[in-house]
Amino acid sequence: MSDNNKAETLMKIKDLKMYFPITQGIIIQKHVGDIKAVDGLSFDIQRGETLGLVGESGCGKSTTGRAILQLYKPTAGSVIFEGEDITTIRGESLRKMRRRMQMIFQDPYASLNPRMTVGNIVAEPLEVHKIGGNAKERREKVKDLLNVVGLNPYFINRYPHEFSGGQRQRIGVARALALNPDFIVCDEPISALDVSIQAQVINLLEDLQQEFGLTYLFIAHDLSVVRHISDRIAVMYLGKIVELTDRYTLYANPLHPYTQALLSAVPIPDPVADAKRQRVILEGDVPSPANPPKGCNFCTRCPKAFDPCFETEPEFKEHEPGHWAACHLYQA
Amino acid sequence: MAGDAWRRFSRNLSAMMGLTVVALFYLVAIFAPWLVTADYTAIDLDNVESGPALEHYFGTDELGRDVYSRVIWSARSAAFVSIFVPAFSLSLGLFFGVLAGYYGGWVDTLVMRLSDILFAFPGLLFVFFIAATIKPAVSLWVKELGFTEFAKQGYVDYVVVFTALALVGWPGLARLIRGQFLSLKNREFVMAAQAIGVSEWRIAVRHILPNAMTPVIVAVSGGIGGTIAAEASLSFLGIGLQPPNPSWGQMISDYYGYWRHATLWPLLFIPSLILVAVILAFTFIGDGLHEALNPQSS
Repeated sequence: MSDNNKAETLMKIKDLKMYFPITQGIIIQKHVGDIKAVDGLSFDIQRGETLGLVGESGCGKSTTGRAILQLYKPTAGSVIFEGEDITTIRGESLRKMRRRMQMIFQDPYASLNPRMTVGNIVAEPLEVHKIGGNAKERREKVKDLLNVVGLNPYFINRYPHEFSGGQRQRIGVARALALNPDFIVCDEPISALDVSIQAQVINLLEDLQQEFGLTYLFIAHDLSVVRHISDRIAVMYLGKIVELTDRYTLYANPLHPYTQALLSAVPIPDPVADAKRQRVILEGDVPSPANPPKGCNFCTRCPKAFDPCFETEPEFKEHEPGHWAACHLYQA
Repeated sequence: MAGDAWRRFSRNLSAMMGLTVVALFYLVAIFAPWLVTADYTAIDLDNVESGPALEHYFGTDELGRDVYSRVIWSARSAAFVSIFVPAFSLSLGLFFGVLAGYYGGWVDTLVMRLSDILFAFPGLLFVFFIAATIKPAVSLWVKELGFTEFAKQGYVDYVVVFTALALVGWPGLARLIRGQFLSLKNREFVMAAQAIGVSEWRIAVRHILPNAMTPVIVAVSGGIGGTIAAEASLSFLGIGLQPPNPSWGQMISDYYGYWRHATLWPLLFIPSLILVAVILAFTFIGDGLHEALNPQSS
């Protein structure tokens, strides 16, 4: 894929926080707490790279993607896209900015309007941004886009329910590509698909990245898929990034105990090797994001936790070039 | 999708019967001028209270008016009610429902409390109250605006009845539409539209509204029967449509003294039966649409 060393930073995320308020009362709403879905993320995304974001369900991966795209208004922090903090822009300028950043959704059944034809779904971005010429030229552009994602342009007048899951996901990809964006958040784009279709969509995304020079934030919970597609991988736990490095280092030398546990849970298609390796089995459940533990978020389940873990929050630091982790074990 | 719904609807016997009766009803309303045998307002004091006969199919009443022609002409009144009242209450319901459901917050609280207040009154009683209250104002208004011919024909009563029924009918529709908007606005395709940069207004109208309409169509069509019944009740009590404009409710009120009369009983029974048939037919269509459009819930 891309060469990381000389890469240019496309997006800089600084201390991003997304809290959802918990309120009580029917008429007078009292603010009684926050769900800390995303709690202070800082990372860069290089132009042309694929940054994988992994973590278990409910750790805030999707919320991160949506907060970056300003689909949620972040509680705090900044998202700097080509030098401009997009968390501060509003209205018409935000709408214009949306041309540059798109999203591919997890559920290809829920993310397409069932009352619109494929042609109208893919043409809508062109229409609302008044690009692609007149109606006839737009229709040609839509047909081209359907071709690009491997759908027969003949289907332009059909409705989403007439397609399979994989085909619908291709419609979603075509819609995201219509505006010729620089950056696409792929929010678990393949987890709702059959395994055989997953490979097709992954390959399509890789081909499109090469062809159009796209940058992806690829959100997933399937480690083998993330390893395949990503240049760098960030591991999330309970609203925070615990480790971030390139894919080779992450698999060869995981620093954070949570990453180690996750990697040891990936099935190996070899019974002998699988029997020999050491599994790290985590005890207990993920704490509630409304009430995270004191100190390190992972201290309640960490097999290597020691005193400081229960007291202070570990700093997210670069331990070796390009290898970031937030763990007291390495903070000496 | 529409094809599937029609297939399910057309296999539903009661719904198809309802559709037949309603089609007949509108045909009669449209072609009323050609179907009547006499002027429905003409008074003939030399021929009062005659039973059904060849020259007056359903007989004549105490003023010698041809009852058959009055029954036919009443279909027009009922047809107007069946079109204008749902149209008015749907417009109000859409406006307030979309406002409350899409924007939420204090707008939502305001609209919903207003609809709660309107809901708190017993329905029909509230219609009587509104009809009686607004009538003088509407009459004056129509005259001031220069529609004297309109007022002379007694069309003010139509306006009063339509307005009263619509004012009582919209809160239910507004609530339904609000509920649909609340559940649909968090769906992924709405977020996808936001990510593209679609404006809020366009999201509400092009993405949410078309997906919200199915239960609204069912509710509106199921409510038409009740609306016709409400107009009949108003006219029965003398605060709905006034003579010379005929209405089935008014005729039932005029002729109920004949209910045990040896020869004149059809004067009461015919408009009553027709009224019941039309109301039932609309209800059957509503039920049929409900089953055809929500196959999993029936």
